[in-house]
Amino acid sequence: MFIAGIMDKLIDDEMLVAQFQSGRQNAFDELMKRYKAKIFSYLLRSVRNYEDAEDITIEVFFKAYRALDNWQPKAKFSTWLYKIASNLAIDYHRTKGRHPVYALEDLEIPEANLVATDLHSDPVHQVEEQERGRIIREAVDQLSPKQKAVFMLSRYEGLQLKEVAETLDMAEGTVKIHLHRAVKRLQTLLRPLWENNEI
Amino acid sequence: MPKCIKSEGQAIDYASKLLSPEEEDPFKEHLKNCPDCTEAVQSFRTVLQLTDKAQAELRVPELALQDIEMNVYKRLAAAHEQTLLSRVRAYLVNFGSLFRWQRTAAASTIAVALITIALLWGELFSPEPEMLLPDTQSAVARIEQYRQQHIQRNLEEAFITHHLRNDAWETESRLHRMKEHAHGTNWTKVADDHLQNLHSGH
Ligand SMILES: [Zn+2]
Repeated sequence: MFIAGIMDKLIDDEMLVAQFQSGRQNAFDELMKRYKAKIFSYLLRSVRNYEDAEDITIEVFFKAYRALDNWQPKAKFSTWLYKIASNLAIDYHRTKGRHPVYALEDLEIPEANLVATDLHSDPVHQVEEQERGRIIREAVDQLSPKQKAVFMLSRYEGLQLKEVAETLDMAEGTVKIHLHRAVKRLQTLLRPLWENNEI
Repeated sequence: MPKCIKSEGQAIDYASKLLSPEEEDPFKEHLKNCPDCTEAVQSFRTVLQLTDKAQAELRVPELALQDIEMNVYKRLAAAHEQTLLSRVRAYLVNFGSLFRWQRTAAASTIAVALITIALLWGELFSPEPEMLLPDTQSAVARIEQYRQQHIQRNLEEAFITHHLRNDAWETESRLHRMKEHAHGTNWTKVADDHLQNLHSGH
């Protein structure tokens, strides 16, 4: 078991998929272990609600499990997984209306972040920092679902523009356009705030 | 002052570190003599710094992460049940229309019996329609495996937090978590004993 665990880490994703396809269940567990935190945090950034991000993460692996038998290694496994996650996130925004429910934000911040972690930290400053973060995240929510997906995947998930294009079924040029519009839009939204020292 | 004719896209790409070395060097040269682009780059950098920081504050809760695998297998098992259920419903619809003219209890009993037979028959002899689904049994075995791991991990963590960090709150929440996973097994008693000890200050 221990040796198998070490071995799994040395095997690339696509090999694990092949193992799963030939009937080795554990290979899927290893894939989940590798990607659950990444997919969860990607979805958390996208839907900004812990419970929904968790549910959608489960849904991503559920769908992956059921489709994996027919999966062909045309692209990287991780790209494919992000593709499932992105589609689910876009669906989510479509059904929930374009923007997440801001009122939930306070509930979303884990308690650890709301509690002063050391005696020297200034609670007023902490609240200000939280408010600042919230305003900025709300600005990101103003992006269209595609702009947001492109921005998140390239900036926070470490995907190359080519991989973002594959993930979102777009031409690479279109990815660039969305990315430029996203950053430009964020500038329009945030600039007045930082110029007035509001963030 | 006339605005620089270079596209803002390049300033964005430069601020995002997305330019290739062949594009980056000439742009750097251009920046030396172009206040417009320099200002634009500075502004986009600020945008990205702000969003990076705000995004970094969103942290995935470790506890929710622990349960992902188990919940995926639960979801798979539920989906398998669901396929069986939808087959039950399909049979009910078919048989329902056959027996609509019958109103007596006897007839519906027969109908139910027939449905049951048909279902069992289907279950035993028809090929599984969705071969990709794991059978419920293997998913259930997986869930059980993860459950045992959770019980073990939370108990270990409870000991560590209690003895090494002396963190009563965390120890208690670990034990409660263990108890949740242990529901229906003797491990709940183990958790209860430890909780009691914790409260009586041992
Ligand atoms: Zn310029």
